[in-house]
Amino acid sequence: MVSKRFVLKRLLLLVPVLFGVATLVFAILHLSPGDPARVIAGQRATDAQVAAVRADLGLDDPLWVQYGRYLVDIVTLNLGESYIIQRGTPILTILRARLPVTLELAIYGQVIGILLGIPFGIISAVKQDTLTDHLTRVGALTGISMPIYWTGPLVILLFAQFLNVLPASNRIASQFDPPVYTGLITVDTFVFGLQSGEFAAFVSAASHMLLPAAVIGVYGMALISRMMRSSMLEVIRQDYMRTARAKGQGAKITVMKHGFQNALIPVITVIGIQFGTLLGGAVLTETVFGIGGIGTMLVQAIEVGDYPVVQGTVLVFAFLFTLVNLGVDLTYSYLDPRIDQ
Amino acid sequence: MSPPPDDTPRRELDRASPTLSRRLTVAGGAFLVGLGGGVVALAVATLLLSSVADGADTAFLLGVLLFGFGTLGWSGSVLAGRGFEEMQRRLDTGADWTEMDSRRAMARIGGFGAGVMLAAATLGTLLT
Repeated sequence: MVSKRFVLKRLLLLVPVLFGVATLVFAILHLSPGDPARVIAGQRATDAQVAAVRADLGLDDPLWVQYGRYLVDIVTLNLGESYIIQRGTPILTILRARLPVTLELAIYGQVIGILLGIPFGIISAVKQDTLTDHLTRVGALTGISMPIYWTGPLVILLFAQFLNVLPASNRIASQFDPPVYTGLITVDTFVFGLQSGEFAAFVSAASHMLLPAAVIGVYGMALISRMMRSSMLEVIRQDYMRTARAKGQGAKITVMKHGFQNALIPVITVIGIQFGTLLGGAVLTETVFGIGGIGTMLVQAIEVGDYPVVQGTVLVFAFLFTLVNLGVDLTYSYLDPRIDQ
Repeated sequence: MSPPPDDTPRRELDRASPTLSRRLTVAGGAFLVGLGGGVVALAVATLLLSSVADGADTAFLLGVLLFGFGTLGWSGSVLAGRGFEEMQRRLDTGADWTEMDSRRAMARIGGFGAGVMLAAATLGTLLT
């Protein structure tokens, strides 16, 4: 059982993390070149119009005043409105519409990474120093070494261009227009399929999701399998494993029954830490595959200088990352109760 | 029967579980140095930008950058540091990075940044 004190302590840690992210984003955006007032007023605006926008936004105030106002706005969940991308639309509304797209991609990527990485890691450890082990390790190293912006175009070339078996971009074929329930397109199309008995839209959404999720997943798989192998090798050498084997238990049952859970503990930590990488990877993957999630929007916002969108997006990413790590900590301490002591 | 005496050296205990005074010393010392650093940064920035207001803004922004980096680094170390330690141990990276060292370094950077911020904001308000 996870103690309340432990949970409270981890929850309180969210405050300095988000405060640190907000502060860092403020500094980076104000240090970067470009004038938001000029961007909002437009390139043809006169100096007087730019000055009026500047005064209206409070950009004439000293930076410490702006910083204080910015922190108060964040605490009251007032992330402002978009300057350019969706002019006048509150950031929270934009994020609410785009977040499920990125989350769906990151979740499927994580699932693929876990489903491939854990079995590969176990097989590699059990068959240590065999050809299978070497192949798995080379595969893992290749996965870690190849950046997403390179593997993305490669798989598009292979599966969409040469083999022509999977779509190259977008979330669903243009002839489908499924209703939005959750924003997660595979879930929405599946629910729609259950209601209408027609699953063509779901098949289209799933096939569109496969390549981008696989690109993120392979990257995640590499680290998970390496950690799983290392952790399992350590567990396999423990006395209790030898005892179980000496009592006549089969090798597979011993590994899965006594080894797996213990070996899983450090891997779970890595999965949590990696979620941040997956969110970062989603930015690149969305751009490569033309998926309109938070990642694509963040790139656009940085390019055109839409500061409130950049600030809001980065804060939401940080919040998600800390939430996932909180979940990981709770799982970790559930598997190993000594952790929260 | 009384428990056996704890013969762990005092210094080791301090390192493993820092007291509030120890934490304040680390962050507070850096804060005081940061106050001095803020004055220097403001003077240099004012000379370069030829305006006290712009100089104060620039010095304050540098302080914010350090403070944000320190705060995020400190909380990130506490949040995920143990996991990173475990990961580098298992991946046999040979790195000496520890959660405790990172936490203390980040507290110093954050404290220094806070000092620069306060010095820049105070002097900027007084001089402009």
